[in-house]
Amino acid sequence: MDIDFSKEDLAFRDEVRDFLANKYPKHVKEKQEQGISLSKQDMIDWHKSLYEQGWAGYNWPVEYGGTGWSPVQIYIFQNELAHAQCPTILPFGLNMVGPVIYTFGNQEQKDKFLPDILQFNTWWCQGYSEPGSGSDLASLKTKAVKEGDHYIVNGSKTWTTLAQNADWIFCLVRTETTQKKQEGISFLLIDMSTPGIEVKPIITIDGDHEVNSVFFTDVKVPVENLIGEEGQGWTYAKFLLAHERFGIAGVPNQIFNLKRLKEVTKGRIDADLEREIAEYEIELNALEFTELRSLAALANGSHPGAESSILKIKGTELQQWLSDIFVRSAGQFILPYEGPDGFGNNALPSGPDYSYSAVARYFNFRKTSIYGGSNEIQKNIIAKAILGV
Amino acid sequence: MNLNYSDEQLMLQDQIAKFCSSDYPFDKREKIIEDNFGHSPEIWNQFAELGWLALPFSEKNGGLDFGPIELSILFEEFGKALMVEPYLSTVVMSGYLLDNSSVNCSELIEQIISGAVHVSTAYAEPASGYAYESPQTQLTNGLLNGSKSIVLNGKYAQYFIVTAMDGSNLKIALVDASAEGVSINSFRTFDGQTCSDVTFENVSVGDEAMLYVGEDAINALNNMIKYATLCDSAEAVGCMSEALKKTVEYTKERQQFGVPISSFQVLQHRMVEMFMEAEISKSLLVKTMLQINSNDEEAEKTLSSLKAQVGKSGKFVGQEAVQLHGGMGVSNEMSIGHYLKRMTSIDSQFGNRSYHVKKFMSL
Repeated sequence: MDIDFSKEDLAFRDEVRDFLANKYPKHVKEKQEQGISLSKQDMIDWHKSLYEQGWAGYNWPVEYGGTGWSPVQIYIFQNELAHAQCPTILPFGLNMVGPVIYTFGNQEQKDKFLPDILQFNTWWCQGYSEPGSGSDLASLKTKAVKEGDHYIVNGSKTWTTLAQNADWIFCLVRTETTQKKQEGISFLLIDMSTPGIEVKPIITIDGDHEVNSVFFTDVKVPVENLIGEEGQGWTYAKFLLAHERFGIAGVPNQIFNLKRLKEVTKGRIDADLEREIAEYEIELNALEFTELRSLAALANGSHPGAESSILKIKGTELQQWLSDIFVRSAGQFILPYEGPDGFGNNALPSGPDYSYSAVARYFNFRKTSIYGGSNEIQKNIIAKAILGV
Repeated sequence: MNLNYSDEQLMLQDQIAKFCSSDYPFDKREKIIEDNFGHSPEIWNQFAELGWLALPFSEKNGGLDFGPIELSILFEEFGKALMVEPYLSTVVMSGYLLDNSSVNCSELIEQIISGAVHVSTAYAEPASGYAYESPQTQLTNGLLNGSKSIVLNGKYAQYFIVTAMDGSNLKIALVDASAEGVSINSFRTFDGQTCSDVTFENVSVGDEAMLYVGEDAINALNNMIKYATLCDSAEAVGCMSEALKKTVEYTKERQQFGVPISSFQVLQHRMVEMFMEAEISKSLLVKTMLQINSNDEEAEKTLSSLKAQVGKSGKFVGQEAVQLHGGMGVSNEMSIGHYLKRMTSIDSQFGNRSYHVKKFMSL
């Protein structure tokens, strides 16, 4: 065992820092630093800059155009990005559907979709949850009926993140009604511009438009957009969820936000809150090392399994805790809201300038213990898969 | 000892509950917030007609002379309905200061009771903690100078009641919102109200507008904060019981894995915990409303326990209500997330949990 980075790892870190200093798009950097929300084009520019550097597939194998980095390199990369306040790398293409396609897709599908995902020519969204199927995802009802060389898709998906920007959606659909509900599910890729698809915004309690309902009415999808075998979609979905949960702990971002919290609250909070911040930091250190231990296991060839559920639960609990500390550190000044539907006057409310974003983040982060398999479901997984009860 | 509401109090509770469910459904509330920044003149007029705007004022000023029990009943029901009308700022806070001043304010109080006028109290400043006895705003030689923060309902106020220092003396003065030298920037709040930053630049204040001076001013300010704290806490208790009720209803309806999710023991226990938090908060509310008028240290201690407890319980109940609703809980269209928002807002005003735990320790 060795806690220090190797010489090669340190050289790699310098390489990432060099990229961030010189090739990270300046207009994106400025907006991030000023807390201005990014446009769709900004997000595209950001991802393209990673692609041009050859780093878009930071977690992909070399044979599909990825970097083939070691878990330690991925860790360093994500940390440096968080410290430079970079936007999130959108997971839908790179972390979710990409690995499913290169693991279970045929050659034609790999050729057709993977390059566009890496180059960020296509924006993907995830069609999993339905109004009646949340924690019980396998009960999903969106139907795909085969007619000649097409599937006809009918049904609806919900909580679809950034569907308003998406070119493609990967969907779990029911192709057969079977005794065991998991067996009739298939994994389908659907072009969002196909007639019969309607996207309706859902506004969340932070006032933001991030998620949507997506409705499908007689949507024609070519059969070649089916991934793997019909009826095997649940296997692919589980594979994808295990990947989704990995990285969901958001450790690098939390380290950055903790640093920011300490800066903005310096001299304006009491000993009680300082103590609580220390307590939070202790648990964050524990979480970070839990993630590193998982990474080490991954490097030894094991697949992400139920351990990622620990990272999901503890990671989201800590994210929510940190967002709560931020709110309380602003005290009574959290009230005024400078959202898009404010009074439109140019003046900012008095009080600390991070108040509004702190409140918005606090309410936004309530979703983290609900999405990606609620924390209650994650506890069931750990109980069954690890404790064996 | 008698811990039961009187028949008259039960009637009041029933009247408010009925009004809120028939005239203030959640979708109407949302529309009022969107179209008119949380204040509906129509609803406010109904308050006036029902006599609610007269509730805490003394009889000599045309009021009903109701006390902390009735106010708590009102605010508990307001909490259930997520009421955003500026009752706290105009009637409770400004109302207290006008009603108890040695300056005769009966004319203005009459206008408040009739629903014609809003008055907001400006006590917090950009550099304030939760103690407001030594503001930076100055009132010397009849001229008011300084800046106030988070003035509730500042957008609709025709008058401000302002705290300021004259040397080492605290003064509380009544200022016309349209007077020369007053500038107002208003903002929506995240829980559906409005608040304002108000700046006073050489605003002239006559002797007739000086509501309190010195020791009287400190006492009046602290009493006003005290009653506001009680009302906000009662509102949180109402929020908790309603959020719990809605959560229980939702988990009975929502089916996953072929059964209502209320059948899962892990969720049952969570709801039982929510229930217990709501109940212990209500107990401290009852204790506080019975003690608050005695004006002794014991009463202050009880009030701090109440506010500290609703800070903790309100956060727990609000967060769990959202969690148990799953995705629906974070949807702005559903009322449930708004209970969390309101209780977050309540904890942040008039001293949060941490502040009141410390105050409790110091008493």
